[in-house]
Amino acid sequence: MAKRVLVAEDEPNIVESISFLLERAGFEVLVEMDGRSALEVAKRNDLDVLILDVMLPELDGYEVLRQLRADDRLKDLPILMLTAKGQREDRETALESGANLFMTKPFANAEIVAAVQQLAESRAG
Amino acid sequence: MCGWIIRSICQMNNNNLTNHNFFVKKLSDPLQFLSKTIQMTHARSSAKSPPDRHASILGTRVRQRRREIGLGQAELAKRVGISPSYLNLIEWNKRRIAGRLLGKIAEALDLSVDELQGVGERRLLEALDEIAGLGAYAHLGIEGERSAELIGRFPGWARAIATVARAEREATARASALSDRLSNDPFLGEAIHRMLTRISAVRSASEIVSDYHDIEPERRDRFLEIVRDESRALSGAGEALAAYLDKAEDADRILTPTDEVETFFETNDNNFSAIEVAAEALARELTDPRPISRRKKAQGLVETRLGSVIDQIVQSSVDLATEPARLRASRALMDYAVGAVLMPLSQFSRGAAELGYDIEALAEMFSVEIEVVCHRLTALPGETGSPTFAYFRSNAAGTIIEMLGLPGLALPRYASACPLWALFRAQQSPEAVIRQRALFPSGKRFVFVVRARHTGPTGFGKPRHYLTDMIAMTEEDAGLTVYAPDSAVAVEEVGPSCRLCPRHACIHRVEDPLAG
Repeated sequence: MAKRVLVAEDEPNIVESISFLLERAGFEVLVEMDGRSALEVAKRNDLDVLILDVMLPELDGYEVLRQLRADDRLKDLPILMLTAKGQREDRETALESGANLFMTKPFANAEIVAAVQQLAESRAG
Repeated sequence: MCGWIIRSICQMNNNNLTNHNFFVKKLSDPLQFLSKTIQMTHARSSAKSPPDRHASILGTRVRQRRREIGLGQAELAKRVGISPSYLNLIEWNKRRIAGRLLGKIAEALDLSVDELQGVGERRLLEALDEIAGLGAYAHLGIEGERSAELIGRFPGWARAIATVARAEREATARASALSDRLSNDPFLGEAIHRMLTRISAVRSASEIVSDYHDIEPERRDRFLEIVRDESRALSGAGEALAAYLDKAEDADRILTPTDEVETFFETNDNNFSAIEVAAEALARELTDPRPISRRKKAQGLVETRLGSVIDQIVQSSVDLATEPARLRASRALMDYAVGAVLMPLSQFSRGAAELGYDIEALAEMFSVEIEVVCHRLTALPGETGSPTFAYFRSNAAGTIIEMLGLPGLALPRYASACPLWALFRAQQSPEAVIRQRALFPSGKRFVFVVRARHTGPTGFGKPRHYLTDMIAMTEEDAGLTVYAPDSAVAVEEVGPSCRLCPRHACIHRVEDPLAG
C-alpha cells in the first residue's frame, strides 16, 4: 500500500510541484493549506509523513507541531518542516519543537523527495 | 593609504547593506599596518622613557623646532641664557621647563607658548591613549607609554591614527544602527520571505519540466505556466525591494517612527478621503447635542465602524515601514476620524468659510473643543480655495508634541522651537486667543494663532498643566480669515530654532552646545 504524506503548505504552486513529485515517487498525497485543517487531517488519517510549512494561516507550523507532539498517537509522526526564512533560529526552533527534519526554500526536488523517503522508511522501521 | 581608508569609510557610509564585520576587517588591516610602522619607529628611537609624558612632547618639540630653523644647541642656549648641557637635558626630556624660561625658548624658536606646549598635541595624546587602551586592539601590542614620542616625531602619522580610529568608531556605530534596523525591518523580512517562496516555486516547477520527460503535455504546460507566473511575480517583488532600498539609501538619517508618521500625513496633505466619506455618513448618527456625549458617541462610532478603513490606509502606505510607526499612525487616524465625524468635511468647510476660520466660533458651531477645530482645519483641501493650515501642539516645557506641517514653514525637528514664537507666550494668558505676525529669516511671513488650555484634572490648590495649540498660515492665506493682520499689527522677527537661525544678534539666542 502506498505511503501517505500530508502536505501542509499555503502556496498553491509549490503544493502542485511537491504533490507531483511525491506521486511520481509512489506516495499518496493529501494537501491542506492552513494549520488548523492540517492538524485535523493529521488526527483523522493514518499518515506516514507530514510536510509542514512554518508560515501557515490560522495556526502556524510551530503551533501545529506542538499540538501534534502533545497528542499520544501523533507524537512519533515523522515531520519535515519547510521555511523560507532559513535563519539559524528557525532551524533550532523547529528541531527543538520536535521536527525530524528541516528544509529551507528554495529546495531541490531530489532533496525533498529523498527526505520524505527517508522519513517514511524510519516510520516503517 | 589613508586615502584608501577614508574612501572605504565613505563607501561604508553610503552603503546601507554592507556587513558590519566586513568594515571592521577592512579597517583593522590598515590599523595593523600603522601599528607596525610605529613599532619600527620605536626600534630606531633611542630616547628613554620620560618621567612626565606631557613634558616629553615639549622637550622633543624644542629639539625638533630648533633643528627645523637651523639653530645649533649652543646658539639657542646662549639666546635664552642657559648652558648648552642644561638645554640638552631639556631637549631629551630630563628637565621640565615652565614660566619665563618657557617663554624665552618659545620666543627664540619663533613660536607662541601654546604652539610650543602643543595644546593640539595634548588632545592627540589623549586620543592615542584611548586607542592604546581599547580592548579591540590589545593584541596589537601598542606601546601606549610611547605615544608622546610618536606625536613628537611623526605628528602626521599620529593624527592619521587618531582620525582613522575615530572614523572607525563612528562607522561601526552607524553600521550597527543600520544592521539593527535591517534585521528588524518588517518590510524587508516580508519581502525576502516572499521572494524565497517564489524562487522555490520556480525552481521546483522548472526542474520538473526538465527532469520528467514522460510528463503529460497538459501537466507540462501547467508547470511552464507556474514558472512564467512565479517569475513575473518574482521580478515584481525584486523591483519593489530595489525601490525600497533605493529609498532607504536616499534617506541620510535613520527615520524614527515619528518621522514616518509625519511624512505619512504630509504625503496625504493631512487629508484622508476614505475616512471623510465614511465620516459624512456616520455624522448623521450624532443626535445628542451635548458636547461630551457627542464626542463619546463619535469615538465609539470610529472604533466600531472605521477600524478597517483606517487599517487599510495604514497597511497600504509606503511611508509607514515599521510597526511602531503603523501603530502611531493608526492612533493619529483614529483622532482624525473622530474630528471628521464631529465636523463632516462638507459642513465644516462651508461653516469655516462663513465664519472666517474663527476657531472659537467654529468650536461653538460644532459643539467641540477649540483644539479639535485647530486640528480639523489642517484637513481642509487647499484646492477648494480655503487657506492651508499647519498645526502645532506644545507642552509647558516647550516641546512640540504634535505637528502637521506646512510647506515653507521651517520646523525644528530635533531642537526646541524659536522661543519667540507665540506658541510659547500663550501660557502667560491661558484660554485667550493670541495672534502673531511672524517674519522668518527667509523673508516668509506667517500668521500664528495660539491658545493655551489646561489639561488633566485640577482643583483648588492643585497645579494646572497647560498645553498650547497653534494654527499657522501664510500671511496671504490669513487674508481669507478673521485673523488677517492690518498694517497696525507689528511684525515680529522670529526664527526656526536657534541652531538653524542666522539672527546672531538675537538676545534670546541659546548657545549651541557643540559649536559654542
